[in-house]
Amino acid sequence: MSAILEIFARLFVWLLLAPLVPGIINRVKARVAGRRGPPVLQLYYDLAKLWRKGVVLSAVASPLHWAGPAVAWMAVALAALLVPLGPLGAAVSFRGDALVFLCLLALARFLLALAALDTGSAFEGMGAAREVSYAVLAEAALISALLALGIQNRSASLAEMLAPSAGPGAALLGAGLFAVLLAENCRVPFDDPNTHLELTMIHEVMVLDHSGPPLAVILHGAALKLLVFAVLLAGAVLPLGRAGKPPALLALAGAVLLIAVAVGLVESLMARLALRRVPLLLTTAFLFCLFALLAAWKGMAA
Amino acid sequence: MSPGILLLGAGLALAAALPAARRWPRLWLGLTLAAAAQALLAAAWVLSGGTAWEWRSATLIGGEAPHLRLDAVSALFLALLAVLGGAGALYSGEYWPDRAHPRSAPAGRGWWGCLLLWMGLVLVAANGLHFLIAWELFAVSSYFLITLERRRLEARRAGWLYLAVSHAGTLCLFAFFALLAARTGGWDLGPMRERTDLAPLYWLALAGFGIKAGLFPLHVWLPSAHASAPSHVSAIFSGVAIKMGIYGLVRFSGWLPVPEPAAWTVLGLGLASAVLGVAFALGQHDLKRLLAYHSVENIGIILIGLGFGLLGLARGQAGWGFLALCGGLLHVWNHGLFKALLFLGAGSVLHATGTRAMSRLGGLWRAMPWTASCFTLGAAAISGLPPLNGFVSEWLVYLGLFASVGAPGAALWAAIPAAVLLAVTGALALACFVKVCGVVFLGSPRTPEAGRAHECGWSMRLPMLALAGGCVAIGLAPAVFWPAVARAAAAWNPAWSAQEMPASLSALGSLHAVLAALGGLAVAILWRQMRRQGVERAPTWDCGYAAPTPRMQYTAGSFAGIINEWFAWILRPERHCRPPEGFFPARASDAMHTPETVLEKVITPVAAGVRWVSTAVRGLQHGRIQSYVFYLVLGLLALVLLTGFGK
Repeated sequence: MSAILEIFARLFVWLLLAPLVPGIINRVKARVAGRRGPPVLQLYYDLAKLWRKGVVLSAVASPLHWAGPAVAWMAVALAALLVPLGPLGAAVSFRGDALVFLCLLALARFLLALAALDTGSAFEGMGAAREVSYAVLAEAALISALLALGIQNRSASLAEMLAPSAGPGAALLGAGLFAVLLAENCRVPFDDPNTHLELTMIHEVMVLDHSGPPLAVILHGAALKLLVFAVLLAGAVLPLGRAGKPPALLALAGAVLLIAVAVGLVESLMARLALRRVPLLLTTAFLFCLFALLAAWKGMAA
Repeated sequence: MSPGILLLGAGLALAAALPAARRWPRLWLGLTLAAAAQALLAAAWVLSGGTAWEWRSATLIGGEAPHLRLDAVSALFLALLAVLGGAGALYSGEYWPDRAHPRSAPAGRGWWGCLLLWMGLVLVAANGLHFLIAWELFAVSSYFLITLERRRLEARRAGWLYLAVSHAGTLCLFAFFALLAARTGGWDLGPMRERTDLAPLYWLALAGFGIKAGLFPLHVWLPSAHASAPSHVSAIFSGVAIKMGIYGLVRFSGWLPVPEPAAWTVLGLGLASAVLGVAFALGQHDLKRLLAYHSVENIGIILIGLGFGLLGLARGQAGWGFLALCGGLLHVWNHGLFKALLFLGAGSVLHATGTRAMSRLGGLWRAMPWTASCFTLGAAAISGLPPLNGFVSEWLVYLGLFASVGAPGAALWAAIPAAVLLAVTGALALACFVKVCGVVFLGSPRTPEAGRAHECGWSMRLPMLALAGGCVAIGLAPAVFWPAVARAAAAWNPAWSAQEMPASLSALGSLHAVLAALGGLAVAILWRQMRRQGVERAPTWDCGYAAPTPRMQYTAGSFAGIINEWFAWILRPERHCRPPEGFFPARASDAMHTPETVLEKVITPVAAGVRWVSTAVRGLQHGRIQSYVFYLVLGLLALVLLTGFGK
């Protein structure tokens, strides 16, 4: 019973903290641009407002249009439960859960892309096409990263894979995973989260026709995904599982904060890439992870 | 009740169904379903722990004593055959009715019964000669099922191609069984793992069974055959018939020793089939051709599992070899279930709209909610997404790969690319099925016929619902189905019978259940909130454009455009572009078409070359006796010279 309670408590904390990360990023961007910027809690206000709004559905949309994002949201939440929080471990952990993590994110992508196509809009079709195409490269990078961690720790469970640091390949893995984080979470230089109405957008254009509570679910899910990736990146690079509880949790929080600041800085200092260059950058991320994999393998052979 | 009596009952019911096929479709259906149920029971009996059933007769057939055997490997495939045979028979009544097809509907019923009977016989035959006979009869019945609609040129062509390629494979199998019989001194089949001198024969089996399975460079017959056949036939083709090739590969790699290079070849072919199958699928605009290429992909995934099983066997690594093999074997079931479901769904679309071209469909969910839901579920399953069955088997293969990575050795070299390519395959399949579901079922109808679509009746819906139920059941309770697969793997290699179920499999099942529950809860909460706040309907946001038409929706070709560009080196897409010209352009068009590259760019030129050489050589034979005498003299001269120089 207490185990179930703990799982629900963790789920609650994940869901509660997620909207904080975009707030921090926006704050950093505003500071760099010399503005005061919106409050850190802005996304909470937005979500509360959207939740209480009415819904305008496209006339051609099927129930999948809003039900898909709801299931995708829970898929990301379950993926979050698989990610270990340093010495606290993961809420759910078993051999092979790293692959479940990967495929839960894929399920979310499948449902969101279908929800986008549901409106019959060419804009959203474009966004969905780009999303699923670039995800092929992102997924290759992510599985290489997981394999590198798996080789190093001889395990297929995230909790064991992320406990020590990534060893010799940590820098490579960190760089690769950071690029994947940016790509999977619609951040500059892959995508621009600030605008919805560009032909060149990826994730943001997929939600053009969502409104009210379904949009709140999508935005919250996106924030949660960002937090999940940040914790994953921190766990892969830092030996969190080997430290005592208070310092490890502090280090984790600090690392997530640092990642949020880094995302904000990248967003302030870089322009979005031309769309045709996105695959190149993602391939670079894949190569980083692949080299980390080779480093881990050499480390094991030695 | 032993499996023998059940199998006898199934065989008798199928034989009795043959004369009923012509006049009494209901009786035929009843008998076929009874046969399927009995075969399923027999398979379940063996898979649930019963001993393998074996039967020998003293009466000679073709000079050989019949020897039948149903062990766990056969039973695994027999169960799939029974399920899909029954589902397809039920589906065909409404899909291919007598009033629309007065000639081909009764013929189809008859050949359906034959196909099931011969495939069943292939699965239980333990005598090389009878295996070959059943195999050939199975190939011929398949030919007649593909060409049911023989008025259409496309179907006849597909049938001929199938027949030709299939016989090329059968030729290899003739050589295989003949050499096997010559070396062992009899046609009887059974475990001969210690006869290492038989190992090279596996190459012949790989070619012969690989053609039937549709491995990547040998898959040329598969797309057109699947696309031209009626949909229930495509379903059993993709679900079971190509699995007969897999059955052969699994069966004889279990009974005969396998050279290690062949294990690496199986793995390499599996990887090539998986990635390139899905790449070709992305280039298709025809719904059923696209599904056919996905069969190539999934056969690849099964072979990755089998290849790692073989490597594990060769290296004595039971841990990961067993896991990967079980993943591959479970994928046989899973692919059979969801691919048949998808083909039946595609058939329902074809039945309702009369077209397979995705660019003419769209918005079908409104008219066909059952088909759309079942198809989307099948699409999620084939993309390897939790909580459905496709993910369970891919997860087992992944688990084997990750375990082999932990153990040092050459297998690591294979495991890293295999895991990366498997992930890439999964992501590509996801892209492809988002495209299919989105373009066919979502949005608004692109043509009037798509707008006039209607839902299919219950006898087409029931088989789809049953198959969808199977996909969900294996996804939510994988531990229930594990023993069957583990017994098949143990029958494949008895040394692995002590291997246990990975403890995390039941954890995976519970996680899937939690995902389903949480997803349902989230949908319910969201629905309640939306109801409370009020829902309005409005046109899709069109950027202020005044007159959007359904034809302005994103097309299947555009959707797959980015990935097609990445794979253009092998897809060789043909582009027919007529750009708008002048100030008032009249007509413009742009079309892209992905051919069957291996067939059109490799096999057809080679065949043309062979024909050219043969035609040239035929000039030597013209009937002029003087020239023939001259050839003789030339020949004699050559012999004289040869013997003269030979000294």
